[in-house]
Amino acid sequence: MRDSMSRMDIKKISLPLIFIIIALFPPFFLSQYWLHVMIISLFYVMMASSWNLIAGFTGQVSFAHAAFSGVGAYISGMFTVYLGISPWLGILIGIGVAALLGLGLGYLCIRMGGIYLSLTTLGFSEILRIIITNEDKWTRGTMGLQIPGFFAEYSKTHYYYLFLVITVGLLSIIYRIIHSEMGLTFRAVLNDELAASSSGINTIRVRILAFTISSAMAGLAGGLYGHYLMLITPDIPSLGQMFLVLAMAVIGGMGSFAGPIVGSFVLEILSEYIRVYGEYHVLLFGLIALAMARFAPEGVVGILREKWRREWA
Amino acid sequence: MSEFLMYLTNGIVIGVINAISAIGVSLIVGIMKVVNFAHGELYIFAGYFSYHLSVSLGVPPLLAMPLSIFFIFLIGIGMERTLIRPTYGDEMYSLIITFVLSIVLQNAALLIFGPYPNKPPNLVSGATNIFGLFHYGNQRLLSFLISIGILLFIFYLIKRTWFGKAIRAVSQDRGMSSLVGVDHFRINMLSFGLGVALAGAAGVIIAPIFPVTPTGSTAVSLTAFVVVVLGGMGSLKGCVVGGLMLGIIENLGAAYVSTMYRHIFGFVILILILVFRPWGLYGQKTQ
Repeated sequence: MRDSMSRMDIKKISLPLIFIIIALFPPFFLSQYWLHVMIISLFYVMMASSWNLIAGFTGQVSFAHAAFSGVGAYISGMFTVYLGISPWLGILIGIGVAALLGLGLGYLCIRMGGIYLSLTTLGFSEILRIIITNEDKWTRGTMGLQIPGFFAEYSKTHYYYLFLVITVGLLSIIYRIIHSEMGLTFRAVLNDELAASSSGINTIRVRILAFTISSAMAGLAGGLYGHYLMLITPDIPSLGQMFLVLAMAVIGGMGSFAGPIVGSFVLEILSEYIRVYGEYHVLLFGLIALAMARFAPEGVVGILREKWRREWA
Repeated sequence: MSEFLMYLTNGIVIGVINAISAIGVSLIVGIMKVVNFAHGELYIFAGYFSYHLSVSLGVPPLLAMPLSIFFIFLIGIGMERTLIRPTYGDEMYSLIITFVLSIVLQNAALLIFGPYPNKPPNLVSGATNIFGLFHYGNQRLLSFLISIGILLFIFYLIKRTWFGKAIRAVSQDRGMSSLVGVDHFRINMLSFGLGVALAGAAGVIIAPIFPVTPTGSTAVSLTAFVVVVLGGMGSLKGCVVGGLMLGIIENLGAAYVSTMYRHIFGFVILILILVFRPWGLYGQKTQ
């Protein structure tokens, strides 16, 4: 019994470990341009996976995820620019503010049901965009605000490893949550809210908690993204950005751990190829996402898993 | 004083148009439990349709308006049959699908119509002196009258006809209404078509006053959602009162507080409603 347990554990750990080891090598052979694409992909992995934590696992569709990343980016960016604090500290403040806003919105809407959360988060996202665009004295509006980076000496390799470490950290937290007792309650809430609440689970508290954690993660991802680009614009908290994150999760596979990771890399790399022909990638991803949501709601990962099962088991 | 009255009148005119658009959302939420995030895009499409029908194709403007609304109705029926119908009962997927659809339609509008605002021709010109207090554009007055006409028609349709009775029955109790012989699929399809047609109606009425642009669609959807939450989900009367309130507050706010923050007033109202009266002005308190 003990033996089989440890063998299971080895199997569980070995697969992610292989991926992490492979992920250590790109800086040695990728060009600066593709290294940049990898860094952006890691940003999207953080965004799509943390959005999936609430949408895929508790069934609440938030449209403010990009907005929370914008909160992280702008709070951290403005603190570092105007108060001269270190970006590392700025990011912590950004995470805190994103978590607080998430808690507030979650507290207001979640007891009212899923539709209210979607409507209010959409409104929040739009309002944030309007404020950032109009308060150009502080945010420099659509021109963008220049903010300092993390390292005195600019190096994409440094950023790549920083993003990799934090992405792996975030993913392991998400993995732990969905495989913990809390994850079990998430799924209980998703499958049957009435049954879950009658068996003593405080469904509302569980959802608010998940929403707050996920918002904080978006704040972290946004802060990192801002200090990497060293220029923050209202595009970061835009609905266009929100759409990309959502499309990555939907196309990769919502409600599965691997789905958003796969979706982020596939869509970000694909969009680099499509961009050559003009700004059609949004339209194309939209159509693919519609087709996936309609015909393969479990996404690419779901399709592959089904194929795997049919051929190998 | 006359300035204040003019802003107030503007608010009332916009408020009635808000009400039409919001009733469209409310109808679909009430019957199908689906929030259509592509509402604003269809409103914009209707505006562009009426522009291109009358300016590019030379259809008389008075005919171009109902024709555009009819096209939107057909698009709505098509949307319901292909994308919305399979999501019944799965709130999460319907939210995701209509959101993705809104982004797709917005980008399609940019591609087809371009980013520039287009203004269909006015039906009437000149201005009328209102009670000797201020001059008000005839086009706006006419838009107001058309909107009132459309509102009366909707109230008649829902309160007095068989179709309206079926709609109310389905939104109250889906199982029971099917037992007494209401065909769900048809009611869903027609009410989705009607809901988006109302977005189209609001779009063609507003387009000669405020030209539409593809990027303006999110604000349109949000206004409709705020009105629906303010009035109370599923209440027609709530949509009218809420639409008027929001129209007046936004116009007075834009005039006396800040133009840039016009849309923020709506969001503030939404938050206040959620804090103090989550079921809205006329909605039913369920919890």
